[in-house]
Amino acid sequence: MLDIQQVSFAYPGHAPALKEVSLTVAAGDFIGLAGRNGSGKTTLTRLMVGLAKPVSGQVLLDGQNTIQCGPATMARAIGYVFQNPDRQIFRDTVAQEVAFGPEQMEWSDSERAEAVAAALNMTGLESVAAAYPRGLTRSFRQRVAIASALALKPRLLILDEPTSGQDAEEKAQLMNLLDQLNQQGIGVILVTHDMELLLAHSRRAVVLHQGEKVFDGPTEELFAAAAATQVTEWGLRVPDVAAVAGKLEKPLGAVRSVEELADRIEGQLRGDEREKSGAPV
Amino acid sequence: MKNLAPLCNLLLTIMLSVWTVLLWDPLPLAALLALELMLIGYAGQAGKLARPIFGLTLVAGFFAIIQLPFDVAVPTAIASGLKMMVMTVAFLLLFATTKLPGLTAALVKQAHIPYEYAFLFTSALRFVPDFLAESQAVREAQTCRGYVPSRNPVKRLISYAAMVEPMVLRAISRSETMAMSLELRGFGSARRTFSQQIEFRGRDYLVLAVLAALTAVVVIYR
Repeated sequence: MLDIQQVSFAYPGHAPALKEVSLTVAAGDFIGLAGRNGSGKTTLTRLMVGLAKPVSGQVLLDGQNTIQCGPATMARAIGYVFQNPDRQIFRDTVAQEVAFGPEQMEWSDSERAEAVAAALNMTGLESVAAAYPRGLTRSFRQRVAIASALALKPRLLILDEPTSGQDAEEKAQLMNLLDQLNQQGIGVILVTHDMELLLAHSRRAVVLHQGEKVFDGPTEELFAAAAATQVTEWGLRVPDVAAVAGKLEKPLGAVRSVEELADRIEGQLRGDEREKSGAPV
Repeated sequence: MKNLAPLCNLLLTIMLSVWTVLLWDPLPLAALLALELMLIGYAGQAGKLARPIFGLTLVAGFFAIIQLPFDVAVPTAIASGLKMMVMTVAFLLLFATTKLPGLTAALVKQAHIPYEYAFLFTSALRFVPDFLAESQAVREAQTCRGYVPSRNPVKRLISYAAMVEPMVLRAISRSETMAMSLELRGFGSARRTFSQQIEFRGRDYLVLAVLAALTAVVVIYR
């Protein structure tokens, strides 16, 4: 659905932030976008939603060049969730807050009510629909921001560091929500420094380094033993699970979580015991 | 100007403003503007201030032109635009060449203004760039939710709530955090010292003498 072709970008008076980056985002993708601070991650996502315009190259949405489209137009197709939800929340109730986008689109009352109800349902916010959004926890406020983006029925959701400032449980809940949305067909681009989350949830990883795309492929390949050295050079941390899996004598293949690692090791040990006892494997 | 004492820079700004108020002839006002631009160039701030000065020129031009339909004489309209520009550029020059902690120290130790007031003044200035960055971030967040300013002025005014409310709420929250942070670092204690070099040196006295002489010329000229 989204095709970024040879895009370059530079902020006035600064070195290029992006150098001829190409990226294709298919419907329903779950992409983890990683890279050290200043590598161009946020700039790339800003170009996707029209907050910035490329110096060269083009961003195509369903084959159409988006150079003339501002973020308000792009919001119908691509939802953008900023790191800090407090920069957008201003209404008295969660439902009113979520209704802001549909109101801007001048949808009819019934369309608006349907969009708000669906967004609240998708994000599990029905129970707090009448609550004052600023009184909610950071995790819930982040959900309100996601619901606000979903109310415009986008096909792709971009989230810039959505888990920052949240505890482990809140992070897990938020990531489960993103998994659910992705299963419903909404594409997700997750900008993150948290490599554990990236490995556990995104199917595809894209790494930017000094404004260039240096990796684009299955997430587990990013952290495979051979690539691990390069990963640290790009400023990323190899998740503990991948590091342990990579150090084992017998390769375990792709491992995404501690549970998966434990299962594989257990399976391998059972296999070894059977081999020793001469029982059929 | 970076080598002058902060109070000397402040006095220069004040005197430029005083001269601007006293003068109504476009020619000397243009000369004052030229002097300010030369000082900006000398201070090595031309590149940094080029954009705001360009924007200011447009506003000043508009300000001058908009007076013409109301039977204001052309020289007076031009002088009004120049006055606005000279005064604003004077402050741009001050803030581009003077460090705010130095200015605070000068206000307290040399101008004998209570520290709380001096701090209030300089910290308010320090937050201007933060405030602009915050307003930009809020605008981007709302446009990504479909916000487009309406062409209808009334609707447009109402819709500004989407920008203003998050900014005000964030500002309140930040001010609370800052107040706590200041108190935790001993703000308001009876004795305090400054590490900035603010003493007048030979060149500062020379500038003050020139300022006094020019003020006398301006008073006589008008």
